[in-house]
Order: sequence, then C-alpha cells, then structure tokens
Amino acid sequence: MAKLDIPNAADDELVRSAQNGNMAPYEELVHRHRDKIYARAFSMLRNEEEALDVSQQAWVKGWQRLKQFQHNSSFTTWMTRICINLCLDFLRKRQRQQTDSLDQMNEETGGVERRMEVEDYNPTEEIERSELREEIDAAMEKLSYEHRTVLVLHEFERMEYKEIAKSMQCSIGTVMSRLFYARRKLAKILISLKKERQS
Amino acid sequence: MKQEDRLKIQAWLDGELAPQESARIADLIDNDLEAKELADDLCAMQKTLEVGEKLAFLEDSREFYWSQVERQIEAEEPITENAQPELMSGRLGNAIRWLVPVGSLAAISALMLNFDSINTTPDWHETGGSEIKNPQTNPINSPSGLAEGAGTVMEEESPATPEVGVFSFEGTQNGGNFASPEDPNTLPESIENPER
Repeated sequence: MAKLDIPNAADDELVRSAQNGNMAPYEELVHRHRDKIYARAFSMLRNEEEALDVSQQAWVKGWQRLKQFQHNSSFTTWMTRICINLCLDFLRKRQRQQTDSLDQMNEETGGVERRMEVEDYNPTEEIERSELREEIDAAMEKLSYEHRTVLVLHEFERMEYKEIAKSMQCSIGTVMSRLFYARRKLAKILISLKKERQS
Repeated sequence: MKQEDRLKIQAWLDGELAPQESARIADLIDNDLEAKELADDLCAMQKTLEVGEKLAFLEDSREFYWSQVERQIEAEEPITENAQPELMSGRLGNAIRWLVPVGSLAAISALMLNFDSINTTPDWHETGGSEIKNPQTNPINSPSGLAEGAGTVMEEESPATPEVGVFSFEGTQNGGNFASPEDPNTLPESIENPER
C-alpha cells in the first residue's frame, strides 16, 4: 500500500488513515481545521481561554470517537457538532451557577415583545461586509447565551429547529421563541451601534 | 396579532412551517400590515446575518496546540484502552461473567444452610423442640442472622423511591431524553454524530 502523502492528502484520506490508529494524519487534520473549531467555540463561549480549552477537548473527543465517523458528512461538520455539544455542556454548567436570566423570564411571559416596536433597519446600505461582521460580532456578545446559541446554530450552522431543540435539550416551541427574541434583540443592538457610530 | 402567529411568520420565513399552515400565513402577511412589517423586519435580519460571522483565530503555534491535544489524548487513552480488554476479552472473561453470579449464589445458599443448622440444632437440643419461636420475631433466630440489619437498610432506602419518580417525570418533560446535560458521553448520538 502506498505511503500517504500527508500534507497533500484529502481530508477523507487522512481520516481513514487516522481511523486505523495513525496519529500523524490526525495531527494534520487538527492543523487544517483548528481555527474553524476554535472560532465556533469562541462564537458560543465568548472567552478566549474557555474556547481554547473546549476546542482542544473537541479534538481529543474526535480522536476517541473517530471510528464512529462513517464519512456520510464532512469531517469538519462532524467535528463542529462535537465542539457545539461540548460548548453547550460548558454553558449549561456555567448557567446552572447563575440565577435565571431576565431573558428567560421574558420569554415565558412574552411581555417584552408586546412593547417592542418593529424597527426599520437596513444595515447593509452603508457599511462594508467586514465592518458589518464586526458589528454583528459586537452585538452577539451582548446577547444572552441562550439567544446567541440559538442564532449561531440556526444562522451560521444552518441547523433545523428540531436539531437545535435536541442539542439544547428544549422544546421546538422554545427554540422558535428564543430565535424570535434573539433576532429582535440583535436588530435593536445593531441599530444602537449604528447610532453610536454616526454620532 | 397573536404571538403564535408571529412565531409562525418566522417559521414560514425559515422554511420550517408545515405546508397546510403556510398558505394561511402567506395570506396573513398579504392582508395584515403588522404581519407584513414583521415579515420584512425578520427578512432584513436574515439578510444581515448572511454576511457571516467574524472568525476568531488561534494565536498558538501549530506545534504547541497539537502538543496539548496529544498530551490529553495520551492521558485519557490508558483508561479506555487498557481497562476494557482485561475485564471483557476472551473466554476467561465470559467464564468470569457466568462464574461470579453462580458462585455467589452457591456461597449464599451454603451459608444459609450452615446458619440453619447452627442456629436451630442447638436450640432443638436445649429446649427439646418445644420452645422454638417464630424466627421472624427473634432476630437472633433469623436464618441469616441479618434480619434487623436488613430492615434498617430497607428503611434507609425507601426515601429513594420518589426520586425515581421525579427523574422519570423530568425525563418525560424533555421529550423522553434522559441524557444528563453534564455528561457529553450521554448526549444524543445523532447530534454528536450527525450522520446518524
């Protein structure tokens, strides 16, 4: 059997070799995708050290479960799901140490929405895409972890309501409600950031 | 407008609404100004988020990052790889699996028979057989000699029963998912492994 040309091999080839217990191909996979996994962890946790730890844990878990990977999705999708699950576990533990957030109370009563006006917002007209990404990032940081997570999973990971509900261990109705409030709050924060920038 | 309809408008825009509801919501958006404004607002937000997210990058070097991952892998491997084969592999493992319960049962039976002969035979001789009392009323005469202790254990364990009920109830509330949120190993495999 020909020796694997690790730096030039496709992900799939590296994964198959790593599934046989070879660590060098796995190291290459870590190198190729570590930024993506770290970025997902950071977008959910909003803390560099925690994101670093969780991203490394994800790679450890990925290695331990590599034989379960059946090549039906891309390796990065599979790794990202592992990372998301670890982030959710981490966030749940952190949340359990805090009292219930105001956001959750509002979701249950629905009180905020009835007072919230529909904003007319078109952010793409003035700022460049990279600047807009910066602003979205700043706005996401101001959201509660439940709202940020549901937005990340739906808007950036393209997960369906059902899948998000399973990941977040809540009902589909809760996902819909969280997503709704998350979008409204994000819009509100973006408007205020726009006003700050203009003044 | 009802909150339920707001959520359905959002679901319709996300392509998550059932076909039979879609027609009604489309009609609502066409005919209700508030519904239309909400749909426009949600659409604007969807478009905004289409630009994607700002990506964070690692500052650690490739070697340093990998060395930390590798160290954790090596630290966890002896637990998963070495422990299992010793306990479970081969014919010896299968034999042990059968021998342990059968052997335990045999040992308990032998002990019970011995206690019976030890506790009853002397009494029989001393009392002439006429004063043997119901063993249940006298812990000393219990076949195992553990009657009192066993009762205590039962009393201590009994409060645990309602906890099982509470656990079951919570599990049902979560759609039958009993996975502990603290343990990533118990998370649904379909999430951990998106292929399933």
